[in-house]
Amino acid sequence: MNKYLLSKKIVVNELSTFYSFVIGLTIGIGIGSIILLAQGQNPVDVFSLMLRLSIGSVKSISSSLNKATPLILAGLGISIINSVKLWNIGAEGQIFMGGIALNFIYISTEVTNPNFSILLLLLASFVGGAVCILFPAISKVLFGVNEIITTLLFNYIVIGLTVYLVNGPWKDPNSLNFPAAAYVGKEVYLPTVFGRLSYGFIICFLCTLGVHYLKEKSVFGYELRISGGSALTAIYAGINAKQKAFVAMLIGGGLAGLAGGVELLSQTHRVSTGLSQGFGYTAIIVAAITGMRPFGIFLVGSLFGALTIGGSVIQTMGVSSYIADVIQATTLFGALIAQFFFTYKITKVTEDV
Amino acid sequence: MNNNILEAKNITKSFGNTHALKNVNFYLHKSKIHGLLGENGAGKSSLMNILSGIYQPENGSIYIDGIKVKKLNPDLAAKLGIGMVHQEFRLINNFTIKDNLTLSKSNIYTDDFNEAFKKYSDIFSLSAGSETLINQLSVGEKQKIEIMKLIFNNNKIMLLDEPTAVLTPQETNQLRISLKKLSEEDDKTIVLITHKLKEIQEFTESIFVLKDGVMVAEDLETKKVTKNDLITLMMGEVSQSEIRKDNQKGKDKLEVENIFFENIHSNVPTLENISLKVQAGEILGIAGVSGNGQVELANIISGIEREYKGKVIINGKNISNQGVKARKNLNLSYIPENRLGVGLAPGVSIIDNSAVKDYFKSRLGPHLSSNKMLDYLNILIKQFSIKAPDPKAEVSTLSGGNMQKLLMGRELISNPEVIIAAQPTRGLDINAVQSLHDLIVKQRDNGAAVMLISEDLDELFKLSDRIIVLYEGKIVKEFIIDEANIEGVGLAMAGLSE
Repeated sequence: MNKYLLSKKIVVNELSTFYSFVIGLTIGIGIGSIILLAQGQNPVDVFSLMLRLSIGSVKSISSSLNKATPLILAGLGISIINSVKLWNIGAEGQIFMGGIALNFIYISTEVTNPNFSILLLLLASFVGGAVCILFPAISKVLFGVNEIITTLLFNYIVIGLTVYLVNGPWKDPNSLNFPAAAYVGKEVYLPTVFGRLSYGFIICFLCTLGVHYLKEKSVFGYELRISGGSALTAIYAGINAKQKAFVAMLIGGGLAGLAGGVELLSQTHRVSTGLSQGFGYTAIIVAAITGMRPFGIFLVGSLFGALTIGGSVIQTMGVSSYIADVIQATTLFGALIAQFFFTYKITKVTEDV
Repeated sequence: MNNNILEAKNITKSFGNTHALKNVNFYLHKSKIHGLLGENGAGKSSLMNILSGIYQPENGSIYIDGIKVKKLNPDLAAKLGIGMVHQEFRLINNFTIKDNLTLSKSNIYTDDFNEAFKKYSDIFSLSAGSETLINQLSVGEKQKIEIMKLIFNNNKIMLLDEPTAVLTPQETNQLRISLKKLSEEDDKTIVLITHKLKEIQEFTESIFVLKDGVMVAEDLETKKVTKNDLITLMMGEVSQSEIRKDNQKGKDKLEVENIFFENIHSNVPTLENISLKVQAGEILGIAGVSGNGQVELANIISGIEREYKGKVIINGKNISNQGVKARKNLNLSYIPENRLGVGLAPGVSIIDNSAVKDYFKSRLGPHLSSNKMLDYLNILIKQFSIKAPDPKAEVSTLSGGNMQKLLMGRELISNPEVIIAAQPTRGLDINAVQSLHDLIVKQRDNGAAVMLISEDLDELFKLSDRIIVLYEGKIVKEFIIDEANIEGVGLAMAGLSE
């Protein structure tokens, strides 16, 4: 009789996350192809069209990267919170809260210098995201309440708040009864670098560098790693583990809020229930696939942005845009399975009875 | 056919690539006390887990009363009367003694419980009544209940895993008498698993020795073997060096004055009026059964615990109100009892763990440079001969000895002024213990003031210049090493000194 034994590998290949992603993506595209075939479509045609329309020109590349921006920012936020082994499922709500805080500051202040105004509004969105995770952070640190539940629940609260605002106090009379707040003025739109590429993407790149530094090179990041490894070791080392976790959560929530702010100032230009199209959830996939590595999040986020753009344009062929979601989800699934085999080894044990 | 109640033949078991047991033979004579001796990692626990049905061997067969047993699982082992007392107690704390003893469905004393309880209470000299809650018992009494549980569940073969680890010398002696009675008057077959030579010689009639998964000696008659024979069998040749005690002592480096501490979860004082001094170049041993305030004292001195009354003074400087980092800056090192979980963070890489003491110092900064951290780790690895496969691997992939070397290396490389070492060698094999002892002595000779907390009296006697005994949070006795003897310290540990 044969038995199989599972044990953790002592040394895990450094590139295993990348290999896992490639394997996962292959599986994702494979499953996507099967679904397309079942619908009577030729996968090669569909995928080549997706490619052409998402990265085939400067215009389409910049659309893809604009789409990637909130994914990457929210993913970075999830990644920094995960340094202390906590999960932020509330990026979606934090994105909305970032937009709400931005709009609130926009309508209640009067700043004449547009550049300063943009900075102020982005800061407001960061603070909004941080405020959105404040309650989960406090309840985690003080009472040990599971942050997965609280951050998730806050999504519903904030989306409810958004629905209320855009149907009530903030409802734009000129919106033809469409539930949305009024557009912000053109003077605070984020400018474009070239083509359609918004400065938001530059912000997102800078944040990637910043989060990488924070996580890998700073004393703060080290303290987060130790706190995440063992709260008792942290106390032993003189690290205030709870305080670090609290700060990490606020920064992470703030980054997701910033994602909402950038999206508002560069794409939607107003608060509505369409401010985020599930970016906060997709960001979890992006962060998980990359093993929470900032540069990985940047690359995979960009790719997922392209997938989303590609997915939305193939609707003209009569193919559901959900094919992009299917590929994203199965890529995560495949990558996690592959990562499992990179992390664990299975040994066969022969047993005589 | 012979009169062996249990026979295990050619048992082989491996975990991944490591062979825990290689063609091991093991057999038990009915109604005798057997010793299974071996260092940590020799395979003792694996063998016991196989006999109690928890692990399945890859090879080999087990006979009970001469009948071959196929597929021994925990249920079947219980039915066949094989029971084990694990090192960690498995009693339900807020149940009474009676509830715990009669919990299992294999319990045989249902109607005549009181009678049986009285009989075995006598054998174990247990004074507590059967309605006493487990959490009101001392560690030694809990141990007795664990063994009684085996009897009440009709186990004829009793496997005891390091039963004396938590006992005072007096309680150990008591246990020896009880076990002898059980084997002689009650027909129990007993296996004592231990790495302590003294006990195996005093308790048993027949000795088996495991080394690196191989049974190097079978069924030795205890009376006919010497301690040195056993040492040689157990670990090959080692030179047990004596520690020189001609160390030069200097000024007081660590002073603790009138410490009072109350755990917030109870209103019983955990530490009461503790005052002590350690000189430069001196090792002060803190003896005591665990849970008598040692951890709290160490935490207070190292700055982890801040809610206490009293003074902590290092090098004449009162640091009572300062935190962990400030105390580290005065070059105080703390080697905590719980090495994986407190001293080292599991799930975090070896390289990150190596910087826990110094990460905030400029030596590794201003940005935590991975190159500088790696250099630092390599110095530790070289100087303390740590076997670490990959700096980025999780620290929990190291063996116990290497973990402790990493932890001690990290804490000692800066030649600290004051060292608090709690159970520095617990659970490690003799070679690792030897090298860790050498490290501590080297620090002593460098002029460090060392406070050594240990439950291992041999270790305390070997290293200390003075021994203080903690009992229920109080210093009950202080010994100069030349005037101390094991019995005296043991009595004080049990709270029995006048």
